[in-house]
Amino acid sequence: MAESRSPGDRGGRGWLIAFGVLILLALVYIFPFLVQVANSFKSDEEATNAGLALWSANWTSAAYTTLFNNSDFALWTMNSLIVTVLVTLGRVFFVSLAGYALARLQFPGRAVVFVMLIGVMAVPGVVLMIPKFLVIKELGIYDSYPGMILPLLVDAAGVFIMKNFFESIPVAVEEAARIDGAGTFRTFWSIVLPMARPALMTIIILSFQGSWNELNHFIISTQSPGLTTLTRGVASLASGQLSSGNQYPIKLAAATLMTIPVAVMFFIFQRRIMNTTGGAVKD
Amino acid sequence: MKIRPFQLGLAAVSALALAAVTACSSGTAASPTPGGAASANTNPVSVLIGSSGEAETTAVTAAVAAWSKQSGIPGEVKVASNLTQQATQGFAGGKPDDVLYVSTDALAGWAANKSLEAYGDQLSNKSDFYPKLVEAFTVDGTFYCAPKDFSTLALVINTKLWKDAGLTDNDVPKTWADLETVAKKLTKGKVKGLVLSHEVQRLGVFMAQNGGGLVTDGAATANSTQNVEALAFVKKMLNEGGAAFNTDIGAGWGGEALGKNQAAMVVEGNWITGAKKDYPNLDYTVAALPAGTQQGTLQFTNCWGIAADADNKEAAKSLVEFLTTTDQQLAFAKAFGVMPSVQSATEGYKEANPTMVPFIDGAAYAQNLPAQRDVSEVLTELNSKLAKLKDGDPQAILEATQGDLQAVVG
Amino acid sequence: MPVDTTTQVRAPSSAPGRQRAGKGIHNQTGTGWLFVSPTVLILGIFLFVPVLMAAWVSVSDWSGRGSPLSSNVNFVGASNYAEMLGGRGLAARDFGTAIRNNLYYVIFVVPLQTAAALGLAFMVNKRALRGKGFFRTAFYFPSVTSSVAITVLWLFLFSASGAVNAFLSAFSITGPNWFQDPRGVFHLLMGGGTAPAALAEPGLLGISTWEWISGPSVAMCAFILMAIFTTSGTFMLLFLAALQSIGEETDEAAMVDGASAWQRFWHVTLPMLRPTMFTVITLGLIGTWQVFDQIYTGSKGGPSKTTLTPAFLSYQTAFEAQRWGRGAAIAFVLFAIIVIFTLLQRLILGNSDPTQPSRRDLRAQRTRNTAATTVPVGAVTNSTGGGSGG
Repeated sequence: MAESRSPGDRGGRGWLIAFGVLILLALVYIFPFLVQVANSFKSDEEATNAGLALWSANWTSAAYTTLFNNSDFALWTMNSLIVTVLVTLGRVFFVSLAGYALARLQFPGRAVVFVMLIGVMAVPGVVLMIPKFLVIKELGIYDSYPGMILPLLVDAAGVFIMKNFFESIPVAVEEAARIDGAGTFRTFWSIVLPMARPALMTIIILSFQGSWNELNHFIISTQSPGLTTLTRGVASLASGQLSSGNQYPIKLAAATLMTIPVAVMFFIFQRRIMNTTGGAVKD
Repeated sequence: MKIRPFQLGLAAVSALALAAVTACSSGTAASPTPGGAASANTNPVSVLIGSSGEAETTAVTAAVAAWSKQSGIPGEVKVASNLTQQATQGFAGGKPDDVLYVSTDALAGWAANKSLEAYGDQLSNKSDFYPKLVEAFTVDGTFYCAPKDFSTLALVINTKLWKDAGLTDNDVPKTWADLETVAKKLTKGKVKGLVLSHEVQRLGVFMAQNGGGLVTDGAATANSTQNVEALAFVKKMLNEGGAAFNTDIGAGWGGEALGKNQAAMVVEGNWITGAKKDYPNLDYTVAALPAGTQQGTLQFTNCWGIAADADNKEAAKSLVEFLTTTDQQLAFAKAFGVMPSVQSATEGYKEANPTMVPFIDGAAYAQNLPAQRDVSEVLTELNSKLAKLKDGDPQAILEATQGDLQAVVG
Repeated sequence: MPVDTTTQVRAPSSAPGRQRAGKGIHNQTGTGWLFVSPTVLILGIFLFVPVLMAAWVSVSDWSGRGSPLSSNVNFVGASNYAEMLGGRGLAARDFGTAIRNNLYYVIFVVPLQTAAALGLAFMVNKRALRGKGFFRTAFYFPSVTSSVAITVLWLFLFSASGAVNAFLSAFSITGPNWFQDPRGVFHLLMGGGTAPAALAEPGLLGISTWEWISGPSVAMCAFILMAIFTTSGTFMLLFLAALQSIGEETDEAAMVDGASAWQRFWHVTLPMLRPTMFTVITLGLIGTWQVFDQIYTGSKGGPSKTTLTPAFLSYQTAFEAQRWGRGAAIAFVLFAIIVIFTLLQRLILGNSDPTQPSRRDLRAQRTRNTAATTVPVGAVTNSTGGGSGG
């Protein structure tokens, strides 16, 4: 559309200004993260008094050493990983099963399930903190991995993503498989599911990010330090005691480290955006 | 009608899960009994603490380990990130830790729903605790739990700014008038004479010094003349410029204001030692707070609570007695800067911490803030009004607090 | 989450599964229920049952020990609600304060984040723009990080001697001590001071008119900035997807008519973005009424209760003050508020329903699908999963 930017319309200078503004904005969005990383390598005193500087004469990794030696950071990371991996695996399986059933199978009650899912999506998560605690406690899975994982295993939005995707796959493929005598589950598992890779990727990304960053569910489902996840652990670091000082470098180091996995996920994901946007939209 | 199977399914799963849990819990509960008779209970004791830092965690862990060695009963220390919430969930979930820190704020609620064991009167060293601390952990005449340690407030002076203003040890304020005078002398440029936090947990000292208090003998007395005068005095100092709130000068708390040389004097507790970590060059002196019509300060404390649902209450009590022995109290004081809750450790503490003597001397006249059920919400509300004290009306602020207090303490 | 868009858009039909599935497949009742049963069970147990139980707790005197279903827990009627909604006591005032705070948060965040997202989308959508990928990454990245990590960073940036104030001081501006400053910005604009007597009387929910018009506190402003920082990227992607699907046809047509850039934006592009706008505002409203993570990690409601939100108050009342009934009641009222706001918005902004994209002709629907049906699914997960700033 080069011709649309004719001089009278959007002149070179105007465009340059707009580009400058965009770069400035990008800096505003990126700078905080640079500050975060830089200050995690400073001393307590320097971070408290010269937080804006991206450069320091006395780099130190003391914050990271303290974090690993004196807090349960490694344990928190492990808990977050366990929960995230199990939740993601579970969601991929359950959500695609349900999505397939809603897209393809005829059964009484299908409409009810559908309406229920929409209803569930409308319930704000934060409102459920007290109620979920009560039920988890009554079920006797309070303060345990099952209590942390089970309630997160299914996600109504994910069911919709899968349902929509399955509806876009031609039925012919499945019918051919059925004629060969494959049962519904076989057809689903070995024919349809492999075709759904793009949608499954979406589910994986969403549930990885969602459960890695989840806070309030873990607050209400656990109390033991042994079950602390990164979000809970780092949140507790944030509200430190007066007598231990600000300890900014340690807090920032923790925030930096806990961001790395989602950042990596994001950058892999980003490449997918670049490749598929545009083309895939028009079937 | 399609909902039927769904409901049935729900019911079935819930029932299964519940059955499994009941089976499990009865399994564990059953195991110790077969031995019968009076054989000693050796169930492990878990201890939930809200730690101020590594030093405290290490010290408590070491102490519990020492007790385990002596008693042969395993002990485990857990550090809570948010103690009240985690303990509340533990009580509600039926899985409390056996021994835990209990703040004065949380005590009334947990006493009311019978989550805590009232074991105070059974302690062999009951008479050794400071009486005011015992009072802090007494609800409706029942002494619940052993005071763990305590802190008081005093006047902390920035030595450098003090000398710069040409002041000497003789100028340390003894009365409110003195305080006003030196504060004015010390206020210069970016330096404020006296820096205060706008919360009743600090400003309450002026009420105490004027013979007031928010609750007296179980009745709300927030709007007493003494209290109104006290706040009026603070308001006067704020408006004359000799005093400022820490937030007005951009400091998070008194220690930060001292460290940045923005404050010449602050009202803080013995945790002031922490300021040295952020501001290694800070030099300070501790003095008793000036008196109004009388000496007055506030104290803050936690106790060693024992859960009513604890597996091994006898062991828990023996652990608490161990943790409150004179030697152990001195070890804690040395490790993380708290003050011993037992009077037998007072002299030892003074010897080891000569600069901190004014803090522990405060125990003689310190007041507890009220801690009845729901009072902590009233105090938070009061604090939000104290932030605007400079332009506010002390009488109106305290009348509002009086109303709120009457609703909860009568 | 543009990938969702791309993968989803291929499913425009309203219910083709029903028709197709009917063919030659029998005995699907058992399989169908088997396939959906894990989902139904888990959602039922951890969403449906909890809501019922909390409803009971909100009208009971359960003290927080033992089971709320045991026989010694009593029905207390609507007293927990009455205390909070009708009284003049502290419970009512705390609730009123939380509503005031959150209302300002919503009023500021929703329009600003929508405008920011729209602006960014327009700029990034320029065809001649080099490094599109870079800009998109830069603006979207804050959305993927956890709210806990961002809050930790924010506490540092906005501390008294922190980076933001250091930056401001370069322009000779003395920044406030952000997270410690309870002053309302409208009060500041009015020159501070105290309440005129006429406005000082306790009013709605026990809060005086003067307090109602305080504006967000300086501390809340830091959270507002954070919300815009973390969510504008997500919503930018929604707008981008929409812009891409409408761009070619309409822009050219309008250009032939000789419309100016502004006219094109105002009369052509903006109306076509309406479905996306609807989605963004709906998600914004739902998200901003649920502020919790930031408050829990950062301010705990302070200074002077000016960052207290209903979600945090509910948590605090139950898990810290041990007033479980009132805590549950707050949660229900918050739920009602969210529903009311979403409905109001629907009334004001018009009809498009993001969950049922099947009303207009297929062509229009394709556009709407791109923007409204598919992407928000990702964004919903994101916001309820605690990923975005609210």
